[in-house]
Amino acid sequence: MFAFLVARRYLGSNPWQTALLIAGVALGVTAFVFITALIQGLAVRLTDDVTAKSAHVSLEPPDRVARILPSPDHDTEAVALVSMLQRKQIRTWAATVALLESQAEVTAISPQITGSAVLVRGEAAAPVAVTAIDPKNLDAISPLSREIVAGDGRLNANGIMIGIRLAEAIGLSVGQPVLFRTDRGIERLLVVEGIFKSGVQSLDERVAYLSLETARPLFVLPAGVTNIEIKLKDTGQARSFAAFVSEATGLRATAWQDRNLSLADALTAQAQTGTLIQIFSLISVLIGIASALSLSANRRRSEIGIMRAFGVSRLFIASVFVIQGLLIGVIGASLGCLAGFGLCGWLATFIRPDGTLALPIAPAEGGYALVFLLTTAGAVLASVIPARSAARLDALKAIQQ
Amino acid sequence: MTAVLDARGIDMTFQNGDELTRVLSGIDVTLDPGELVALLGASGSGKSTLLSIVGLLLRPTAGVITIGGERVEAFSDAESSRFRNQRLGFIFQFHNLLPDFTAIENVAFPAAAVGGGMSNSMRRRASDLLSRVGLSDRMGFLATRLSGGQKQRVAIARALMNRPELVLADEPTGSLDRASADQVLDLMREINREDGTTFLICTHDERVALRCTRRITLRDGRIDNAIQDGVH
Repeated sequence: MFAFLVARRYLGSNPWQTALLIAGVALGVTAFVFITALIQGLAVRLTDDVTAKSAHVSLEPPDRVARILPSPDHDTEAVALVSMLQRKQIRTWAATVALLESQAEVTAISPQITGSAVLVRGEAAAPVAVTAIDPKNLDAISPLSREIVAGDGRLNANGIMIGIRLAEAIGLSVGQPVLFRTDRGIERLLVVEGIFKSGVQSLDERVAYLSLETARPLFVLPAGVTNIEIKLKDTGQARSFAAFVSEATGLRATAWQDRNLSLADALTAQAQTGTLIQIFSLISVLIGIASALSLSANRRRSEIGIMRAFGVSRLFIASVFVIQGLLIGVIGASLGCLAGFGLCGWLATFIRPDGTLALPIAPAEGGYALVFLLTTAGAVLASVIPARSAARLDALKAIQQ
Repeated sequence: MTAVLDARGIDMTFQNGDELTRVLSGIDVTLDPGELVALLGASGSGKSTLLSIVGLLLRPTAGVITIGGERVEAFSDAESSRFRNQRLGFIFQFHNLLPDFTAIENVAFPAAAVGGGMSNSMRRRASDLLSRVGLSDRMGFLATRLSGGQKQRVAIARALMNRPELVLADEPTGSLDRASADQVLDLMREINREDGTTFLICTHDERVALRCTRRITLRDGRIDNAIQDGVH
C-alpha cells in the first residue's frame, strides 16, 4: 500500500519529532497501565484480606415472623407468636452440607455454632464471641492453625482456644482452666488448649473457639447448628451462589460482599477514580497526536498541493495522515505496554518483611489489551481532523503558497 | 485532427467580499498535438489563472474546455483528479518535488499513488525517464540532495510518467540560473519534438517564448495576439 510507504516516510523524515511524539504516547499508556495495575492490585489485596479469613457465603436460618393462623370462625384471629428466647438454628444442616458438597464451586464447608459467653478466671471476666467448629476442619474458613502461638487446635471435649490478647487480659496460658458461662447462664470449666494470634486486635481479644460437640450442651443445640460457612473457588461468584443456595434450601444466604458493603463502596470509588485518571491520560495522548499531525499537515501544505495537482485523490492524502496516526498509536501503545509491564514488574519485586508486596500492584492486570485498543483507535480518531484538513486543501492555494 | 486543447469563451471572475474581479474574459485557445506553446503576459495578466483552469485546478466562471476530445469544465473533484493524473502533466516553478522521496520515487509517484504501489513496470518507466533527462546517476538521491536544475528535470520526468497528452508548465525556468534554464528548455523541446507531447508553458521570459513554436500573449485578461512563430 503506497499510502503506508508515504506515511512511514513522513514519520521518518523528522525522527526526533516522531520519537518525542511516540514517547509521549508511550508515557501516557505507561501511566494508564500503572494506574490500572495498581488499582487492580489494591482491589485484589483488599478482597483477599477480607475473603482469606472469612466465609464467602454464610448460611443462617431465615428470620422468623409471627403468622396469622387460619381459623374456621372468621370473627376471631389467632397468631403464632415467635419466641425471642428460642435460639435460631439450622436443624437440617447435614442435608444442606451434603448439597453443598455436591457443588463443584465449593472448596470448604464449615457448620458452626456461634454465640456469646463470658470467660471467668478468679475475679477477672471477659466477654467472648464463641465460634464452635469441627476440629477436623479447623482451617476450613480461616487458616487458624498457622496463627496458633501456643498449644494446639485439637479442641478436645473440654478444650477452648482463645486469642492472645484475651489470654493476657485475664492471665491465661495453655493448660489452665477457665470458667465458661454462656448467655443462658450455663457454666462449664474448660481448659485452654491453644492460643492464637491473628494480628487483628478485635479477634485476638474477643474470639474463642470450641468444638461443635463441646458447644452443643452449652448453647442448648443438641442437633442443629446456627450457621454454615462456605468458601468458594471464585470469590466473585459469591452473590450468585448465595442466591442459588438460598433458593435451594430456604436459608438466608449472605455473600461476603454484602457483609462488607463499605469495602465494596471503597473499591467502587477507587475504580472510578482510576477510570478518570485513565481517561485523562488517554485524552492527553490523543490531543498530542492530533496537534502533532495538524502541524505536520500544515507544514506539508505545498507537498499536498503538488500531489493533488498530479492527480492524487483526497482519500489518498487523508489516508496518509490516518496511517501516521495508526502507526504512532500502535508503536506508542506497544512501547507503553512494555514499559508499563516492566515498571509494574519492577515495583512488584519490593516485598515487605511479612511477604506481601510493598506496593499492592498486579503487573498482569495492567489492562494491556484495553489500553492498546483504546490508544490505537483513539490515535486513528485523533488523526481524522488533520487528515480531513489535509485532504480538503485547495491544491492551487497550497502550491501558490 | 483533434485538438489537444480547445478552450472557448473562458471567463474567470473572483469574488473578494462584495468586490468582483474579472481576471479572464472571453479567452479562446486551441492547441494542436505536438505544439510547444508559450503563454506570455505581464504579472496579473491572467496567464497563471488560465493555466490553472486548463489544468483543472480551477473551475472557470464560464466557458467550455475540451481536452483530447473530452469536455472537462464540469468535472467533479474526483473526475478532475483522475483526469489530471492520467492525461495531464504539471511542472511548477517552486515546491516541485516531494523532499522525503528519491528522484525515482518522485517520478513514479503519480502512477504509484493511484496504482496502489510502485510496480516493477512503474520503476522501469521512471528509470527510463530519469535516464532520458540525464539523471540516471541520481535515481536514488533524495530530492533535497538535487540542484535546482536537476529538480526541474526530475519534475519533467514526473510530468511524463503517465504519458500525458498535454504538459502544463508554470514558469519552469523561473528559479533557475541561465545554464540550468537552457538545459530544461532544451529538454522540453527535445521531448516535444521526439514524442510529440504538447506543452503549454506559462512564462514572462521572452527567451523561453522564442524557443516555442507558438506564443499566446495575455493582457488584462484577454488574448492580445496569437503569433504562430516558427521554431527558433
